[in-house]
Amino acid sequence: MIILQALVNGIVSGTLLAVPAIGFTAMFAVLRFPNFSVSGVATLGAFAGYLAYGAGLQMAGSLAAAFAVAGVAGLAFDKVAHLPLIKQGALPAAIASIATGLILENFVRLGFGNEPRGYDRPIARDVFIGEIRVSPQQLETMGLALLLMLLVFAALAFTRIGKAMRASADNPELAALKGIRPERIATLASFVGMGLVGVGGMLLGLDSSIDPLTGTRILLSLFAAAVLGGLGSVPGAVLGAFLIGMAEELSVLVVGSQYRAAVGFIAILLVLTLRPRGLLGERAY
Amino acid sequence: MTTIRIGRRAALAAGVAALASPAVVRAQADPIKLATLTPLTGAGGPYGPVMAKAAASVVEEVNKAGGVLGRRIVLVSEDDQTNPEAAVRAARKLIDVDKVAAIMGTWASSVTTAVAPLCWESKTFLCTVSGADSITLLPHQGFLIRTQPNSKLQVTRVGEFILSLGAKKAFTMIPQTPFTQSTFDVLNQVLPKGGCTHQSLIYDDKKTTYRTEVDQALRTSPDVLLANGYTPDTVVLLKDLYRAGFKGKILGFAYSINQKLVDQVGQPEVVEGVYTFAPSPAEGSGAFEKVKAGTGSANPDPYTCQVYDHTNLVLMAIANGKAATGEAIKDNIRKATVSGGKVVDNAVDGIKEIMAGGKVDYAGASGPCDFDEKGDILDCKFRYEQIKAGKFTLVKIA
Amino acid sequence: MLSYLLFIATIGGIYGLLALSLNLIWGGVGMVNLGLAGFFAVGAYASALLTTVGHAPIAAGWLMALVAGGFAGLVVTLSTTRLREDYLAIVTLGFAEAVRLVASNEIWLTRGTDGISGIPGPWKRALGPDFNGVYFLIVLLAVLVVFFVMRRIDRSPYGRVLRAIREDAQVAQVAGKPVLRFKTEAFVLSAAIAGLAGALYGHFTSYIAPDMFLPLITVYIFLAVASGGTGRPAGALVGAYMVMTLLESSRFFVEWIPGVTAVQRASLKELLIAVALIVVLRLKPSGVLPERVPPAPRPS
Repeated sequence: MIILQALVNGIVSGTLLAVPAIGFTAMFAVLRFPNFSVSGVATLGAFAGYLAYGAGLQMAGSLAAAFAVAGVAGLAFDKVAHLPLIKQGALPAAIASIATGLILENFVRLGFGNEPRGYDRPIARDVFIGEIRVSPQQLETMGLALLLMLLVFAALAFTRIGKAMRASADNPELAALKGIRPERIATLASFVGMGLVGVGGMLLGLDSSIDPLTGTRILLSLFAAAVLGGLGSVPGAVLGAFLIGMAEELSVLVVGSQYRAAVGFIAILLVLTLRPRGLLGERAY
Repeated sequence: MTTIRIGRRAALAAGVAALASPAVVRAQADPIKLATLTPLTGAGGPYGPVMAKAAASVVEEVNKAGGVLGRRIVLVSEDDQTNPEAAVRAARKLIDVDKVAAIMGTWASSVTTAVAPLCWESKTFLCTVSGADSITLLPHQGFLIRTQPNSKLQVTRVGEFILSLGAKKAFTMIPQTPFTQSTFDVLNQVLPKGGCTHQSLIYDDKKTTYRTEVDQALRTSPDVLLANGYTPDTVVLLKDLYRAGFKGKILGFAYSINQKLVDQVGQPEVVEGVYTFAPSPAEGSGAFEKVKAGTGSANPDPYTCQVYDHTNLVLMAIANGKAATGEAIKDNIRKATVSGGKVVDNAVDGIKEIMAGGKVDYAGASGPCDFDEKGDILDCKFRYEQIKAGKFTLVKIA
Repeated sequence: MLSYLLFIATIGGIYGLLALSLNLIWGGVGMVNLGLAGFFAVGAYASALLTTVGHAPIAAGWLMALVAGGFAGLVVTLSTTRLREDYLAIVTLGFAEAVRLVASNEIWLTRGTDGISGIPGPWKRALGPDFNGVYFLIVLLAVLVVFFVMRRIDRSPYGRVLRAIREDAQVAQVAGKPVLRFKTEAFVLSAAIAGLAGALYGHFTSYIAPDMFLPLITVYIFLAVASGGTGRPAGALVGAYMVMTLLESSRFFVEWIPGVTAVQRASLKELLIAVALIVVLRLKPSGVLPERVPPAPRPS
């Protein structure tokens, strides 16, 4: 029973992880470099949402604030720091993104200090479904995350710009020939990807607490989810996030919670050794 | 009789000499340099800034009253980043460039252990609030004191308190820290004697939810749960315990379960009835009030009180030793708490009394500050509180 | 002041070794190691354990650090070299975290978060206060040896192959060079040097703990290599000392910024490092000492 319970807990945390993982992998699909500044952007999003919520905005408004602030910041850093370096290869851009992540983390620290803060949300007792314990709030958060994911999938599948994005990720040259402007796709990918990362930071902070290291804490799990599903694959990131979420919770029962952070690393190693392109391959969609 | 007369005469001569020397000269004398090395970033970030502030408030007061030995005091505050590597670099700078006589307030045990050799090798005095047992066992030659009772003593008291709550099945949830192993060892020894079983779980303090950990703990249906982490992870843990409907008693250390935590949880029911435990600051004492005023914090934590005491003790040791060196502080640190001396709660009064040839017995904000030869604090009272309707109410001090 | 400068020079030398290590793979082969701190830790622990628990001579500890670092490098590359640089970046980042977890939790081996204290320094008792000076010379010697090995590699046919792989692995493969083997060898050698740096660090400060090996060190070293000049050993060394100077001098000038709290000062310092890295990458990607080999024309 406790195993089933752990799996349910894992699905809940996996759902939350999926949102920033989608953002990360979508950016990778288009921009072709691993953007390490997601740690800082997730933190920034969490704090933006916190401020908005504190200022009296409702949940939807706060999520939108987190999305907008994180998206704009991520886009700005992409334009100023990362993308100009991409001509020299993925590495310099990736390294620059570590620095921008650090900048954001310390920017938040400059304004808010190190003290953890919590969203002023009522905390409710869990409800039992059969013998499985679920938290109504976490279900709500999970619902929000699922809704967001649906939106992303719908946008990718049905809108013109979504289709253009997929085409551009699959084959930039061909897409360019077809008249899709790579500049615009890149801008959109940065903004939406980082927006999702920011929302992810907020969703993860809703039920726990936020501080300047909020994003750093999830960085490895987030990468693991993306690599597991196949870097650049949006459905892969979702699958990866669920698997990592469940594996992390199960690991608590098997090796103890203290090795939780190693789960992501081991998953990455296993995938790269056994199935180097990830579970769903590297196609964007 | 004769000796006393000479003593008086010498003291008088010294006093006259001090007065006679022109004010300009006294002001020009090199300032005395002291340092705080507290965590301003990293895991200890929530604790370090206010600690540094407490030390600064003491220095400011003493400077206003004319300094010590006719010299001004300059306080240099460095960040140890809760990281021994950065701490070592910072300490080297403090020791070699600023030439401070004492470093105060090291917080993480790993930082203290890293910095301690630099201090005793350079004869710089080190005051720490780290609790790991191993620290005072280092070969520090007397250049180290700690105001925090070691973890063995603390956990023994925790164990006794758990028994006094009538526990039959206790459970400890703790992240991996230098105290983890000794917490287990001590509780496994103390609790069974009182007919209480003990189980435990180490958790990852960087997780954002502890649902599965809580499930695992509650499966053993404990009646008392010791939540032994720091504030950020304990917030999450307490929320998850509440969600899970845990009905037993919860106990935690006051450095993590504090007013900040209660504010952050935001909902009184979640923390209702939680017991907290701390080496007792001497609440209501003059020193404690001074810490409140100096830091602007209504409820200063034990670390802050301890750093306040560090600063006062060091300054009075300098006054007693008539020299602002680590060596002088080492030899005189225990002379600030002479029983029968004039009871003071701050260095300004203490220095005045010492300069007048008297003895002082400092009553600190963290309690009496007597140390054994290893540098461990001798007597320590512990304070037990319970949260009722979002307020900390005193259970007992013992 | 002198002993402070000696101390900084010694730590700078150790950072220099790390920079040489990174330069070999980044500048040399175009691979990346975001887990430098992890290999640094592996070497530090290997040597510390061998000399404290195993009572082996310090030299044996240093040798062990080289071996352990190299072995860790081999383990990491085995699963990832075949793959692209971006995967390696993520794997090495995870590796450093995994090392820290093991160091914190396997108390029977590493003494956990308590760390290992009392690591012997060479002739420490006999030297007394001169220890810092002598140790600086030892580190300097190690740096020079590694430096000349690196320069030798840089100018040898071997180095040219590495550079060819960096510029275009496919072409190198077609030209009959076993790309995978070259990459693995370079990474293992680089990891071994990082391990040695860790050992030198541990025996200098006499204490190591898991908290010492945070990812921030890796950022410092990237800044060092980028600002010094990727692809040139001398650049890596110069860069390491520039970073050390920046790190330590920022201590002095942030004190002059009025009206900020201690926390804000600390975050300003980290901000400064990060901004410096971006500025260098953007404005002077070749560093102060640019690579001397004319870069091959890049295929578009």
